[in-house]
Amino acid sequence: MNKRTTMTALIGVVLAILPLLVGSKYYQHMLVIWGLYAVYALSLNVVIGYLGELNFGHAAFFGIGAYTSAILTTRYGVPVVSGPLFAALVTGLIGAVVGYLSLRSTGPQFAILTLSFGSILFTIVNYWVDFTRGPMGITNIPPFSLPFLKIDFTQARNMYYVVLVAVAITAYGCFALMRGHSGRAFIAVRENPQLAASLGINIFQTKLLGFIGAAALAGAAGSLYAHYLSVITPDMMGLQGVAAVIIMVIIGGKGTIVGPMIGALVYVCLLEVLRATGPLRMVSFGALMTLCVIFLPGGLISIWRRHMNETRLAEAGNTTVEHP
Amino acid sequence: MKSSNFTAATIRTSVLAIGLALGFSNGVHAQAKPPIKIAAIVPLSGAGAFDGQLGLEGMQAMAEIINAKGGILGGRKIELITYDDKGLPEEGVSATKRAIEQDKVDAVVGGWFSAVALVMKEATRDTMLNFMTSAQHPDVTNKGHKYMFRVNATSTMMSDKYSKFICEKIKPKSVAFITVNDDYGRLEVENYTRLLSACGIAVKGNEFYNRNDTDFTTVLTKLRSLQPDAIYVSAINTAQGATIYRQIKQTGFKGTTIASAGNMNPKLIELSGSSLENVYSVSLFAPDLKNPTADQWQAQYQKMFKNQPAFIGSLGAQSVELIAAAMDKAGDAHDYNKVSTVLKGQKWKTLLGEMSFDDKGQALQNLYLIQVRKGKIVKVD
Amino acid sequence: MPLPLDLKGATLDFILLGQQLANGIANGMGYVLIAVGLTLVFGVLRIVNFAHGAFYMLGGYFTYFAVQSFGVHYLLAVAIAAFLAGMCGLIANQFFFRPLRKEHEFIILLSSLGLSILLTNGSELLFGADPKYIESGFADATLDIGPVTVTQQRLLIFVLATMALAFVYWFIRRTRYGKMMQATAQHPEGAALTGINTNFVHAYTFVLACALAGLSGALVGPTAMMFPTVGDWAVLKGFTVVVIGGLGSISGACIGGLLLGIAEALGGGYISQGFAEAIGYVLIVVVLIWRPQGMFGISRGHKS
Repeated sequence: MNKRTTMTALIGVVLAILPLLVGSKYYQHMLVIWGLYAVYALSLNVVIGYLGELNFGHAAFFGIGAYTSAILTTRYGVPVVSGPLFAALVTGLIGAVVGYLSLRSTGPQFAILTLSFGSILFTIVNYWVDFTRGPMGITNIPPFSLPFLKIDFTQARNMYYVVLVAVAITAYGCFALMRGHSGRAFIAVRENPQLAASLGINIFQTKLLGFIGAAALAGAAGSLYAHYLSVITPDMMGLQGVAAVIIMVIIGGKGTIVGPMIGALVYVCLLEVLRATGPLRMVSFGALMTLCVIFLPGGLISIWRRHMNETRLAEAGNTTVEHP
Repeated sequence: MKSSNFTAATIRTSVLAIGLALGFSNGVHAQAKPPIKIAAIVPLSGAGAFDGQLGLEGMQAMAEIINAKGGILGGRKIELITYDDKGLPEEGVSATKRAIEQDKVDAVVGGWFSAVALVMKEATRDTMLNFMTSAQHPDVTNKGHKYMFRVNATSTMMSDKYSKFICEKIKPKSVAFITVNDDYGRLEVENYTRLLSACGIAVKGNEFYNRNDTDFTTVLTKLRSLQPDAIYVSAINTAQGATIYRQIKQTGFKGTTIASAGNMNPKLIELSGSSLENVYSVSLFAPDLKNPTADQWQAQYQKMFKNQPAFIGSLGAQSVELIAAAMDKAGDAHDYNKVSTVLKGQKWKTLLGEMSFDDKGQALQNLYLIQVRKGKIVKVD
Repeated sequence: MPLPLDLKGATLDFILLGQQLANGIANGMGYVLIAVGLTLVFGVLRIVNFAHGAFYMLGGYFTYFAVQSFGVHYLLAVAIAAFLAGMCGLIANQFFFRPLRKEHEFIILLSSLGLSILLTNGSELLFGADPKYIESGFADATLDIGPVTVTQQRLLIFVLATMALAFVYWFIRRTRYGKMMQATAQHPEGAALTGINTNFVHAYTFVLACALAGLSGALVGPTAMMFPTVGDWAVLKGFTVVVIGGLGSISGACIGGLLLGIAEALGGGYISQGFAEAIGYVLIVVVLIWRPQGMFGISRGHKS
């Protein structure tokens, strides 16, 4: 326990001083994008990792959160600092409706259902041009701002700290959640629904709660994304966006906290690094992704875990296995 | 024992983190005459991939011509560095930042899609020379900056010229529109409804189609039942446009097809078969412009690439041409104040004819009336 | 829809209605071909294949090259394309799905996603990003069936798709291979216990599904343009139909596909094109509220 807390604290310190170590604006920008995706991936992880269901409509929540915040701040003069809150509320509500209709199914049926709902939401945003400006997207979204403090959040290095706080809150929230009663209910529902039901856990309610929480979190992340990029288009909710966040969670390692964060980092870095391959960029990405999926089904975090287990086993010198 | 392993692990993690942060940097090459680096930020994958390819090829052909003449500023060659923006704002921003920070380019050419252009201009605001090519959103120049230029004509500029021609030469008794459901399409419907009604043409109706549609038979059947004299087709996407032109003929429509301004290109004609024969349009570019730079560019293009030189390539080419000429005249590749003043300060003879910029950086270009005759784009007087 | 009172107006309206219905049925048959393959793969292999649309795209491209580069007659090219698409499916199954048979569903889904990215971007590299038009002698020629005009191509789609579906029906119901497919779909472990080589069944089911997708691309392709990302559109349509019809149900795919095509044509023709796109999703919501497993699907409330 202590070792873990110290490790986390150290990582936290490194993350906090990262923008200072990294001089270039380009890298600072990539750090912000990474942070936003980390929160986004962590939110999907609640459904995929903790609840054990594959949600293919999650990008819609990210997008709607972005659009809610964008529309409220550009058209109705709502203060930017409350943007993520409203975004979370709206997406939470929509998440409740989608979850209510979808969570009665499981497995592939649930995946396709959520894909359909995600597509419905995408279509609405894309074609309700009068409200959302359709494919042209929303522009001139005001940057994030805190009341009374004159900090320029168009600068990546400043926005990074806002995002880092969001990541920290989310990560801690997941940690606390899984340690608590609800977390154990999630695991029970995921591993053995019949047994969980026999213990008096209301499967449907448990799943719905997790689903709504995940949606609201994605919405908040989307709102921050909108205020950083200042332009959003429906593409963020399209098939590419859907695939991206799922890739992050599963390649990083579902069901863990560090996993989705690593997945987000790899996704962002890999795409940038692969620019060097020119026209082969996306093909390389697809190939690497598939290889990772085939050979590392537990995600990248499983390499670390395997290593930690081996070290621990070597030290202990016996065959008892500790739970990681 | 345990604590040393723990420390080792932590140090490893921190080093990993810092290592990732510092990342990969390009080596610095020592050269006799450093090249002028121009970032070409184009869609190379996703929906806009073909247009991006054509645009890039246009730029590369023009760069070759300039370099063959010895480059600019005493022998410095133009070097194009390519980035894929996937047609998405987020990618456009990260590509721009990488170009400026990592690869230390001297100018940026991009903005083929409006949404991308609108974020890119913020990343270059008052720090980098930025040419936007095909994006048509008014805010690109209305909310631009002092080093920002846009070469495409706005749809309002094109509709003013084209509507006159439709009213005076084509003279249909009535017209119906099929337009794409976004800002561009809506503006088109607004402009042409106003301008064409003003000269007495009855507007019988308009149907919007969506960006991802692949079949238009339903919409065209509906339009045909309104029995208009002419159907005006507003389509930027080549694949969609070709499908619409073919399907118009397939519904049995016997009237006139009018193609929207600024969207004619050889690929569209190839894909549309005979359904574009004798159809009119308006463009900034035609193969028979008969000015020396245009001829030279087309010859060079056909030497280098399999595709036919097209309007969208000409926008990329003109951007490179103007950047090079302005930097050469200003005597400096980095003093953007000087370069901008030079760009806005005179008329330029380019491959698209003689043109100039207004003080917002909007190009004032020639608009040519064109017609498709025997499968080729021909300038009409 | 309100019918006009005068007879002449009423005749015109019926013609328009007939025309839109014909449009809808033609499109619908295309959807059916895509959806049947998708639902087969799910029923027998229990895989949600996100790369299914890519095989549609490959079918279109193979047809294009057969006609353009080898001068083959369009109808023969269609057959070749369907066959080649099936062969690509064989290879894909071998490398992307068979090694993961014991893995969790998510992993297999992600593998299909990776396959989709590879096929789409690989095609863009190999074939070029420029849209291509498949020359079919039937595409522009029109035929008048009474007052309704259809292109010969759409008629061809209807005829050939029906023949293909008849073949699939016969194959599944009447041949030994088809019965093995049914057995594997109903109870994988039980089927293996009776000596059925489930790996083999998976392989030829996948080949059949991809061949159907390729056939759809080859037939529907000439009505529009072929480009590398068309697979995304195709797979989304496929999933829409499959959700409506029920995962694993072929009759559901057939009825769902036709329903979708007709609903889109009528919605687009009488309301607006924007509505036509949304109509598929509205249908999904309506059907799912009425029957959560789709029209003919099996109720699967618990984890498989």
